[in-house]
Amino acid sequence: MKESTDFLYPFIEGDETDAGSLLVDLAKSAEEKWAVSTELRVATLTRCDEQLRTIAGLMAERFVAGGRLFAFGNGGSATDADGVAQLYTRPPSGRALPSRSLVEDRAVITALGNDVGYDKIFSRQIIAHARAGDMALGYSTSGNSENLLVAFAEATKRGLLTIGFAGIDGGRMGVDPNVEHCVIVRSQSVHRVQESQASATHVLWAYVQEALASAIRV
Amino acid sequence: MTEIAAVAEDMGRASLALARRFNSGATMWCTSPSWPFHASHVAVEFVHPVIVGKRALAAVTVPIGADVVATLRANVRPGDIVVALAGSDDPQVTDAMRRGEAWGVETVWIGAGSDRPASGSADHVIWLDTDDPLEASECFVRIYHLLWELTHVVFEHPGLLKDVAQDVVCTEEVCITCSDEGRLTEVVSVEGDEAVVRALGVEERIDVSLIDPPRPGDLVLVHAGFAIR
Repeated sequence: MKESTDFLYPFIEGDETDAGSLLVDLAKSAEEKWAVSTELRVATLTRCDEQLRTIAGLMAERFVAGGRLFAFGNGGSATDADGVAQLYTRPPSGRALPSRSLVEDRAVITALGNDVGYDKIFSRQIIAHARAGDMALGYSTSGNSENLLVAFAEATKRGLLTIGFAGIDGGRMGVDPNVEHCVIVRSQSVHRVQESQASATHVLWAYVQEALASAIRV
Repeated sequence: MTEIAAVAEDMGRASLALARRFNSGATMWCTSPSWPFHASHVAVEFVHPVIVGKRALAAVTVPIGADVVATLRANVRPGDIVVALAGSDDPQVTDAMRRGEAWGVETVWIGAGSDRPASGSADHVIWLDTDDPLEASECFVRIYHLLWELTHVVFEHPGLLKDVAQDVVCTEEVCITCSDEGRLTEVVSVEGDEAVVRALGVEERIDVSLIDPPRPGDLVLVHAGFAIR
């Protein structure tokens, strides 16, 4: 017996068989989300432009003085850290710069996670590798990842330049004095945050290259 | 920034196919020899959803530096998915994609650049025109985020999850899948005029006397027990 409200939920019985209208909806949804991402990208890059220029200038000074960049993050943000290391060391153009992702060595990550705790997987590597003059760059969409905050505290103690990429409202990273420069992508969507973080990462890299080029000319 | 209109429909069709495959138990294999971090990002996206309550889906990254074809050949099962992010000149991805039919996997090739892969190189080609590597990289992140989001939209339509491709069976006198062109298979071993080939995970012995002697790993077309090309 058909309920009179069936028209409200036409496919609730799972008897939908024509994918045509769904395909139209999917394409439309993709276009709408793409437009939202583009808007957020423009807004973020406009709002953060001066901040990114400032950070790039400080990074360029450190690179010139022999500083190295250490990137880290969890999950999708870990892949951002890997991407940063690849972009700086094997750039599509410009100067190759010393950079490493602290999530790349699985033996180290699992050893530290197992033996001293997941909250210390990045800080312990900073203790082992970093020197004053180096740089710490951490990615988190929430801004609340415990192991990033622990790593930033250690980095600050050791005289590193500390840079955070966060989302939503910046979370704890946005207000932590150990994150000297926090670039915040203001969106509630994790996906859209990561997309604009990728754009800001590329702009920051381009500004570093520009700053290095002018430093060499001077 | 690149416009989406050109690939929105491709993404919709790919998402429908992914949802159907996942619903039938597929594992999704992700590879990107040039940008391994993108492949890792795709896999973590599907395994560990950013939205609480969404299904965790089986996705895995082909290890960095691994032989892509060898890794996939040993691991994929018919019905699986292979997603590659690569330029059209990537030799490993090109080779893996053309074996998709013999392996019985759904192939998705995401890339960018004025040089597109040839038509039919993969089941789904999601291609952007830009030659700017950083712009392309940003678009890739959007594309796989959207593929994940749209795949979960399709899950809300259970009536459309039936995998149409799996309905094709040879019950007619003239097989509709191999009547004219034959079936694509991968050579496992060769002994004189005979060879063992594998397609869709099943091995069979065939006659190779009609073609130049193949080597293990070659793709050959089989019709009625004979390799014809």
